[in-house]
Amino acid sequence: MKRIRNYIVKVPTFIFVGVIIVMSVVPILWVLVSSFKLNPEILSSTFDFPTGLHIQNYVNAFRVSPIAKYYMNSFFVSITATVLNLVVMGMAGYVIARASFKLKRFFRAMFSLALLVPGAALLIPLYTTIKAVGLYDTRLGLILVYAGFGIPTTLFIVSGYFMAIPRELEESAYIDGSGFLNTFIKIIVPLGKPAFATAGVLQFLTCWNEFQFAMTLTTGHESRTLPVALYYFKSAFASDYGAMFAATVMISLPSIIIYILMQKQIVTGLTGGAVKG
Amino acid sequence: MKIKKKWVVAFLVPSTLLFLFVYALSLVVLLVTSFTQWNIGQEIKFIGIQNYVELFTSTVFKAAALNTVKWVLLQSSVHVLIGVMFALVVSRRAKSWHARFARTVFMIPNIISSAAWGMVFLCILNPKFGLLNSIVRLLSQEEYSQNWFMDPKTAFLSVTMIWLPFAATVALIVSAEMTAVDSTVYEAASIDGATYFQTSVYITLPLMKNAIATGTILSATSMLQKLDIILMTTNGGPGTTTINMPLLIYETSMRENNYSLASAQGIILIMMGLVSIGIINRIYRMNKED
Repeated sequence: MKRIRNYIVKVPTFIFVGVIIVMSVVPILWVLVSSFKLNPEILSSTFDFPTGLHIQNYVNAFRVSPIAKYYMNSFFVSITATVLNLVVMGMAGYVIARASFKLKRFFRAMFSLALLVPGAALLIPLYTTIKAVGLYDTRLGLILVYAGFGIPTTLFIVSGYFMAIPRELEESAYIDGSGFLNTFIKIIVPLGKPAFATAGVLQFLTCWNEFQFAMTLTTGHESRTLPVALYYFKSAFASDYGAMFAATVMISLPSIIIYILMQKQIVTGLTGGAVKG
Repeated sequence: MKIKKKWVVAFLVPSTLLFLFVYALSLVVLLVTSFTQWNIGQEIKFIGIQNYVELFTSTVFKAAALNTVKWVLLQSSVHVLIGVMFALVVSRRAKSWHARFARTVFMIPNIISSAAWGMVFLCILNPKFGLLNSIVRLLSQEEYSQNWFMDPKTAFLSVTMIWLPFAATVALIVSAEMTAVDSTVYEAASIDGATYFQTSVYITLPLMKNAIATGTILSATSMLQKLDIILMTTNGGPGTTTINMPLLIYETSMRENNYSLASAQGIILIMMGLVSIGIINRIYRMNKED
């Protein structure tokens, strides 16, 4: 009896998890496999493995579109925006965690307000301000906007971490005659590394994947990032499906690699930041 | 240890400037221009609530708002349920390799660029060479060429399936909260003869209330930002079957250059977010425990 009851629970559970895993991984694997197929193969034999490792699609993707340039832009924008965000919010997070001043709650609330504003609503205002200050179609424009988008998440992660650091470390540094700035740079920042790693990975992925502002704040090829490239691939390669598959793989791969390498940071970031927030 | 005022100020100035530039200024511009008439290359003119009046009589706006609400509802119910169930199931063997594998794989759709994820679905559901139609053809041995994204009957469902099942973030938040539960609670339940199912429903879930509420808020508000997937797949069509608020704002501003009307739409989108968060908070009565 117990065994039967066991199966009644286990079988649906198994099916549920199985379906979810298949849905999460098969699409990506299919795109990966198809990206090595020749175009006629893609159209005729959906399930077969490619007749060889045809890297032609990747070559085509690089040849027909400025995807190399977009790659560079994506890396440059994502890394710079992440560093800017960490520096700025690391400083704010530290004084909010440690100093006592009247407007502390106000600042915390103000930065948290950002969580309540859907990015899509800011399309017009950011488009006009970025144009007004002459940053339209520049990577700097994107960097500022992206660094801003990470304000609440980074603040939660970083200030939460700083609050957990024992005060004795800083106090003994002050007694030894270290100044505020020196203590921050030499003691706090190295101690806060795990928090910076967590916030940094999340911020990087957000920038790497961002689409809407990459699309509306830029034009032409100079400053555009990868997700937008994909949108143009859709029309530019209307029938070159192989190149389309290859481009999809090339855009997804960095995110997947970062996720596998930094899984721990991403998980703590998403859960810690979200639950405490 | 007292941190000097000048350092507090100096350390808060950069972040405040960034916030003012990206958020505060934007919100002011948004609110003010929503009461004006402002097209590209024209003088700005104050017209009161005329934009809002125009919106509420527009059928496209109604379609976009309704679809957005539908997606918010689906995401905060079905999507959250999938995430919670996954967390419950996987937590049984949390440390085993297959549980870890399942969690890792489940996260992939959430981690890659959603433009790329949209592209993946565009290929999977392609009527000619897509994986789904090929499977149907293989099983039925018949010619089958359902155009999932272009058929008005299937477009909404097809778009929904791009995000509805992939609830790894919800699962993650709930799992994290589960590990924080004192294990003696479970031991007591098991001594009293509770089955795993009973333990889950009567003990684990009530303890997870805050985590589920957080997951629900994140899931609901994520539906207010889905532009890329829709642009990649249906472009809002056929007709207005799959248009949502972000796409409407994009079309009104970037294609029709009607900035002020887009601002009014933006204000309504923010309202939708605040109302959703308010309702979810009320349902889970989060504030009571704080």
